[in-house]
Amino acid sequence: MPSKNPLPPKENAFFKRILKCYEQKHYKSGLKFAKQILSNPKFAEHGETLAMKGLTLNCLGRKEEAYDFVRRGLRNDLTSHVCWHVYGLLQRSDRKYDEAIKCYRNALKWDKDNLQILRDLSLLQIQMRDLEGYRETRYQLLALRPGQRASWIGYAMAYHLLKDYDMCLKILEEFRKTQTPKPVYDYEHSELLLYQNMVMQEAGMNQEAIEHLKTFDKQIVDRLYVQETTAHLYMFLGQPEKAAEIYRELLSRNPENWNYYKGYEKALFLEDKPDERMKMYRSIMEQFPRATMPKRLPLDFATDDVFRDLIDDYLKKSLRKGVPPSFVSIKSVYKDPVKVKVIEDLVLSYVDNLIKTGKFDSKGEVEPATSLLWAYYYLAQHFDYLKNIEKALEYVNLGIEHTPLLIELYVLKAKIYKHAGDMDEAVRLMDEAQSLDTADRYINCKCAKYMLRANLIQEAAEMCSKFTREGVSAVENLNEMQCMWFQTECSFAYKRLGKWGEALKKCHEIDRHFTEIIEDQFDFHTYCMRKMTLRSYVGLLRLEDSLRSHPFYSKIAILALEIYLHLYDHPLTDTDHDSDVNSENLSPSELKKMKRKQRKAQKKAELEKEKLKAEQEKRDQNKNKAADGEMDGPKEEELIPDKLARTEDPLEQAIHFLKPLQMLTSKCIVTHVMAYEIYSRKGKLLLMLQSIKRGVVADRNNPQFHICLIHFLQYVKDKGEITEPAKSVINLEMKNIYQGKTALQLNEEFLAANSDSLEHRLAGARMMYKLDRSRQEEAMSLATSLDSKLKGLTIQNCIEVLEALCRGDLGKCEQEALEYQARCHKIFPHATAFIIPTPAPANCGSVECASTEQILVNGSALKNES
Amino acid sequence: MYINPKQMATNEIQVEEPEVEDNDAEDESKGKKVAKHDAGAADLEKVTDYEEEKEIAAQDIQDAIRVVSDRQNKEAKAKHEKEKELSKVKINKDDVDYIVQEIEISRSRAERVLREYKGNVIEALVFLTN
Repeated sequence: MPSKNPLPPKENAFFKRILKCYEQKHYKSGLKFAKQILSNPKFAEHGETLAMKGLTLNCLGRKEEAYDFVRRGLRNDLTSHVCWHVYGLLQRSDRKYDEAIKCYRNALKWDKDNLQILRDLSLLQIQMRDLEGYRETRYQLLALRPGQRASWIGYAMAYHLLKDYDMCLKILEEFRKTQTPKPVYDYEHSELLLYQNMVMQEAGMNQEAIEHLKTFDKQIVDRLYVQETTAHLYMFLGQPEKAAEIYRELLSRNPENWNYYKGYEKALFLEDKPDERMKMYRSIMEQFPRATMPKRLPLDFATDDVFRDLIDDYLKKSLRKGVPPSFVSIKSVYKDPVKVKVIEDLVLSYVDNLIKTGKFDSKGEVEPATSLLWAYYYLAQHFDYLKNIEKALEYVNLGIEHTPLLIELYVLKAKIYKHAGDMDEAVRLMDEAQSLDTADRYINCKCAKYMLRANLIQEAAEMCSKFTREGVSAVENLNEMQCMWFQTECSFAYKRLGKWGEALKKCHEIDRHFTEIIEDQFDFHTYCMRKMTLRSYVGLLRLEDSLRSHPFYSKIAILALEIYLHLYDHPLTDTDHDSDVNSENLSPSELKKMKRKQRKAQKKAELEKEKLKAEQEKRDQNKNKAADGEMDGPKEEELIPDKLARTEDPLEQAIHFLKPLQMLTSKCIVTHVMAYEIYSRKGKLLLMLQSIKRGVVADRNNPQFHICLIHFLQYVKDKGEITEPAKSVINLEMKNIYQGKTALQLNEEFLAANSDSLEHRLAGARMMYKLDRSRQEEAMSLATSLDSKLKGLTIQNCIEVLEALCRGDLGKCEQEALEYQARCHKIFPHATAFIIPTPAPANCGSVECASTEQILVNGSALKNES
Repeated sequence: MYINPKQMATNEIQVEEPEVEDNDAEDESKGKKVAKHDAGAADLEKVTDYEEEKEIAAQDIQDAIRVVSDRQNKEAKAKHEKEKELSKVKINKDDVDYIVQEIEISRSRAERVLREYKGNVIEALVFLTN
């Protein structure tokens, strides 16, 4: 390595020591050696030493100094690959991967065959998914070190990821030929073969893949995979007899695996032959009398008497044994109303008989006393599912009378109240359930979740704290543990309370978890190659590529989008406290009550703060002790709720959450509705068009999207002259999408096609009123119909209608809103949302009207326009 | 020269100066503490034998390399051709500005798409709004 300024032997020895100390994490000694060199005036500006000193300081957490030294070092020796490499490592530690790649490239200019730098570069490239670059680098590594396993594997994998299966297989095959497996249990060789096989399958080379499995059968240690895959491949190749044989073997190995049955049925073409299908299951039942799957699966296709006999047997067994999830296990059967009736009659007759004779029916023996209890439990779930709240409560109460201390019953009762729309009662019951076994974390979490649904955030945190680490606040600890369900529910609760900043904070925290998970893959790039776990490695890469398609992400991303849109439409004023709960609509007495409550809360918060402070101090002490450790990634900016809520560019912030959704969940219509809302506020015509085009593909008939469609049509019409080239593009696309229809036509068609769905009716009614104010009455009657035949007649959807009424989406209609609420109350007597408070309601009147402030994305977009 | 930040601390260091040695001892004990705390990582490190350093017998390597490098060269050439072709396409700077502004994508991507559509901004926009 040529350096501009070579050190004499003594200093050079010191320099080598610095490197060694760095490798072995003896950072302090490293600094001492650096000092020994730098204190010599002749070498005070020695570039590489300065750079290394900087890198060492970085590991001690002294970021700023680190950058100073490394940059100074680099300036003093721009032709040193060491300096560039160090600068790259420094940037990498700050996750500035693009910059780091540039540095490595510079380093390679001065030492193009440096293995370590090439390796580091390849890691960054795969992390950044620069696949072309990765392939180049891996090629260089292979050319330099053809004797190494990893060189071959890495190069082959680059082609695999680029979907050049041919080349990938060629390299793998060449490489395989050089390998001689150990005679017994060579796991890594086996993994190599299976990786090769996986690539073949992805390339669609099914015949080759099956041959490959046969040829190397003896060398592959994952026997189950071989069997499952062979069966699968035979199916692909149109040889079901052979597949059936293997599935039969697999079933003998594990008669509880649902997939094997599916495969077996397919291989024997049993789908439309219920008799033979049944016979198959009976034969397996005989072979494995204790297996549950052969008893459960026929319930899906059996009918009439056969079904009756089977379900009778199935239910009796599970009630006798007391299997709590037996309802859940047959929930999918409930799609068929005839079967539901059979089940209902059966279980009701059991209850009857058990009370009278202690038997399920006239035959049989006397059952254990608990059978009756589990029958009650089952019936409560059954009626809850059928939305028959009163019956459900009746049976769960019978159960509680029978056995007052069974936790499951309280959990179920809470759930029934939740479904009925009474969250407060649900929380009370769940808390009771929780108190029956405080050592059970499952029930503890359930209770916390219910509390969050009822906006009891403080209480939920306290509940969780029973299981979180001591000395740290529960909320903080749960963030550290990436406990996303808790944070998601918190965020929703904060949003309902109008605490936008707090809600956003939670969204950002979850977003950071996802970033963290993507960062965490870094270590696997080396580890998996080394351990030959190539199949899982490729699986990991693919998982990380689509990580943000996880519902945990899309949930909070959509939430964050809604909040940012709201903040754009209603920016917080200086006097606004974030926690503003719209005090205008409250009567004086309520206001007083609220203020008292607030004062109390403040006091509590102060106490809490002091406690936290004490904890913080304790922690700081601990931290100081534990410092010196590595710095893992750059320190992130602290999330301050108020600052988040007062962001200057809510739309740009929103786009940060939107981008991953557009990339990964383009099939989901909400993504495009959200995108439309954002870009319509930005006035970006072409991006609005983009959302419309994508939405049309995803789900044109969606009610929210229907509103966007009409809005866009009107928007373009009202806009008047559009400049080129947008004009041509829009004209071209509008023809495709709207086929020359007017907004009115579009809306009438939409309503006609979806007259049986409540959500569609609301959207259509809103547009009807917007397009023609004189049709208010018609629109109103469309939206407020509560016909029991309507699809989507749920509490949530009715709340949406009520909110739309309160918001004035259908014009002024206070009286109608109140009437509607009363009618809903009749249908959903338990739902708190429809209970009209006894003191004479002021203006629009209900508690729900507090949510006028709620974000109504579609609504507000249109309001801006009109 | 190796710079490997992921390697775990070992205690093999030997230094002449007594002063420094003292500090090493201190460092070592700290290193151990860290290791204890990160028991999982330490275990992970244990199962990590450096397999990749194993050398392959040199026999068939030559053939294999030949297969690989032929392909590599061909590909580089094809890629080069395509780039050359694309760079020949004349595009209007205003069009690029327009796309960057309206579709909110990076300049390089805008240029690339425009080139791929032979500079036809309308076709490019139809593609980009898909």
